[in-house]
Amino acid sequence: MGTFVRILVAGLAIALAVAFKNYRDLSAPAPLPNLDNNAYWGPGEPKDYKANDAVVPYDIGVAPELIADLHAQLSRPLRLQEPLEGVGFEYGFNSKELRKVINYWRDSYLPKWSEREQYLKKFPHFQTTIQGLKIHFLHVKPQKVEGKKVLPLLLMHGWPGSVREFYELIPLLTTPSASSEYVFEVIAPSLPGYGWSQGSSKTGLGVAQVAVIMRNLMLRLHFDKFVIQGGDWGALIGSNVASLFPENVLAYHSNMCTNNSPVSNIKLILSSLFPGFFIDSQHAVFYKGIGSIFVHILEEFGYAHIQATKPDTIGSALAHNPVGLAAYILEKFSTWTNAEYKHLEDGGLSKRFTYDALLDNIMIYYVTNSITTSVRLYSESMNKAQLALNLDSVKVQAPTGCAHFLHELAHTPDSLLKDKFVNLIHTTHYTEGGHFPAFEIPEKLYTDFRNFVNKLEN
Amino acid sequence: MKCLIVFGLIVAFVGAFIGFGYLKFTELTRPLPKPQLDANRYWGPGDGKNYVPDKKIYDFNLQVPQAEIDDLRQQLNRTLRLTAPLDGVNFEYGFNSHALEQFVEYWRDNYLTKWSTREAYFNSLRQYTTEIQGLRIHFIHERASEEAAATKKVYPVLLLHGWPGSVREFYEFIPILTMKSNITDYAFEVVAPSLVGYGWSDAATRTGFNAAEMATVMRNLMLRLGHKEFLVQGGDWGSIIGSNIATLYPENVLGYHSNMCLLNSPLAILKGIYANYFPEKYLPSRFFIEHHFPIWEKYMYLLQESGYFHLQATKPDTIGAALNSNPVALAAYILEKFQTSTGPGLNKDFGAIITVYTLEAVLDNLMVYYLTNSATTAGRFYAENVAKPYRDLQLDRVQTPVPMGCARFRNDLPSVTDWQLRDKFPNLKHSRYFQQGGHFAALEMPPMLFNDFIEFVENIGLDKL
Repeated sequence: MGTFVRILVAGLAIALAVAFKNYRDLSAPAPLPNLDNNAYWGPGEPKDYKANDAVVPYDIGVAPELIADLHAQLSRPLRLQEPLEGVGFEYGFNSKELRKVINYWRDSYLPKWSEREQYLKKFPHFQTTIQGLKIHFLHVKPQKVEGKKVLPLLLMHGWPGSVREFYELIPLLTTPSASSEYVFEVIAPSLPGYGWSQGSSKTGLGVAQVAVIMRNLMLRLHFDKFVIQGGDWGALIGSNVASLFPENVLAYHSNMCTNNSPVSNIKLILSSLFPGFFIDSQHAVFYKGIGSIFVHILEEFGYAHIQATKPDTIGSALAHNPVGLAAYILEKFSTWTNAEYKHLEDGGLSKRFTYDALLDNIMIYYVTNSITTSVRLYSESMNKAQLALNLDSVKVQAPTGCAHFLHELAHTPDSLLKDKFVNLIHTTHYTEGGHFPAFEIPEKLYTDFRNFVNKLEN
Repeated sequence: MKCLIVFGLIVAFVGAFIGFGYLKFTELTRPLPKPQLDANRYWGPGDGKNYVPDKKIYDFNLQVPQAEIDDLRQQLNRTLRLTAPLDGVNFEYGFNSHALEQFVEYWRDNYLTKWSTREAYFNSLRQYTTEIQGLRIHFIHERASEEAAATKKVYPVLLLHGWPGSVREFYEFIPILTMKSNITDYAFEVVAPSLVGYGWSDAATRTGFNAAEMATVMRNLMLRLGHKEFLVQGGDWGSIIGSNIATLYPENVLGYHSNMCLLNSPLAILKGIYANYFPEKYLPSRFFIEHHFPIWEKYMYLLQESGYFHLQATKPDTIGAALNSNPVALAAYILEKFQTSTGPGLNKDFGAIITVYTLEAVLDNLMVYYLTNSATTAGRFYAENVAKPYRDLQLDRVQTPVPMGCARFRNDLPSVTDWQLRDKFPNLKHSRYFQQGGHFAALEMPPMLFNDFIEFVENIGLDKL
């Protein structure tokens, strides 16, 4: 690590010098990029596209043949290699644990699939076509309102998640509580290319363009003003919606607030060297410094690297490969929930989740065959064209709440977040929880979100 | 007076700064002494306390049970659920799923049907196994032909493959090396092993089996076969392992030839950036600038192509599980590299792989990974080589007196210049640029590689040694 950090610091010092010179240009408020709010993403020619505004109930039922085929695949002898001696999850998903997961999937989970399917159906599912793509979403209204103010909430997942992450959170959001005058009407879409939402046929559907689709979805449902909550890609899409369409966004809450502007990245380097200026000392443990963050990202981002450059290769590799898909996705639920779980032979998966819940999420990727379109979001978002939009430098005016859960991949100090989220009215630090708090500790996330909303002045 | 003091202080400060910078620079760039490795380290299962080495050499014959072939065919016959490429996209987003469907179809309906001829082709080169440091090592061992042995100067050569290659890469190369040729006085006795963790060689069961350990095992293999002095040729990992053998065991290496000349020492990197601005000064001809520069474009290219490297270097067991579990997965992942190796012009083309190689050759190679279920252990090699114990060896900074030869093929990964190579290989005897050819030179153009190899060998002046 010493060598890496030395090289990194040298390179960053040069970058710093250059950046300082261009500080004024870099820190100027960026103009809103010009995005086509009606871009067509479906198959064929745009001119042949006949828009359809209908919102129709959607049946997520899975054909029994698919389940039977999956069972047959999981029954094949596993061709896994024994882990190296003394290794937990340091080399990736431990094959001993993978064997356990596959056996459970086949022998315990699939036999009760109709139960799981019923569970997934417990919220109303819909589809509507936005810009040529069928977008799936859950639409959950509060059963009782009891005099509370109903706020529409756009709730967005990321990768390798799905709407399933929100199944224990949604009842909390849609049930009136004595602790708040608000209750929420939840719209939880599958991102385009994820779950039951159609993937783009055209190149260019990056995180900015997804924000346009999500906002159009809310308008389609007659929500002109709404609150946003998201993590992972959901956080980035949400922040983009707030940047692009401030007139529609009442408030933005995220469990992964980031500021990726050039100035913020420079400040991040400085905050490693001079933490006192940037970080509240009582939360020092959250802010590990750029050397540590860099090493951690390097270790954990192999998947992002390949997804950003060869999405169709890795997509084809995982497409009808349930064993591979399980290893690839569940690895994240281990390490991103707590990096220390890497040293456990079972990856700590059952410490915070049930196999049923984890497999529900895997099933969504598997039955919808969406792994390839899901990973394309990386290549579409990490390229020159997206960077040129400079959305990272556009400020968010909406009242913002940021929840920091300790075991998240990395944290951006609040002082840097304030540069982008100029109305940061709520920030919290939790010493438990990781990258998937809605899935892992829904009550905590709900409470934090509710506390944030309570601070809003309407 | 004050002026003098201020001036003196400035001079002192600048001097100290320059001095410090110089010290740091030399610290980072000076050559390092050769590290000592335990050349008998046990790598088999268990603790090796009661390990009694089995030095016998056993015949190896590939005989795949028909049931396995049938099962593979069945797996390839599942309805594919691949996603169509985005409009207008060929291979820019990775291996094209339409192309993948075609490969799978050919593999299932054509290739597997004639598997017995492919198996016979595998067995057309004599192969064996022997145990080195607790690991069973599979290798091809072809002696020079009778004619060649009678009339030529015969030297042993160790051929080393890489990832996602295998000994299959050398099947058209080896007969040229062992035959009596009209264009040279030399012929060769070839040893081509499957790397540890690849093909039919065992894999290590403990962490730490990196390219230095691999070099030791391969050198010990040559000693086992009675060759105390030998030539080494390799590309990809084979090139790095070969370089390590030449560095750690120079007394055993007559000459080291590489078709992927990389060097990643701090000095080499700095020199590369510097030479980027004065390329003509450091290259034999303007024609070859594009092999190395503009350097930022080369870095971007590497970034674009190294997702697999990053993944295998950090989570080899995850991606390994995916590749081992599904032959279509293995095909997509490995064929992507063959597609890219066809070069920037061809690699948009669906037929590129067939144009440059044959379907049979590429599928033969894929079968090696499939039949041996080695995707995980092959990937682990990446993790071991980015780990601290290997990085700390800093082998790129250790000089070796062994004669070196470098062949640079235009469409391969970017190599370093002779100016950089000489810092590690002061005895750089041979260097050539090819304006065609890619990463799998032995498979793509074996006669060209042979020509280059013998030119290097003739340069060394072996019989005068």
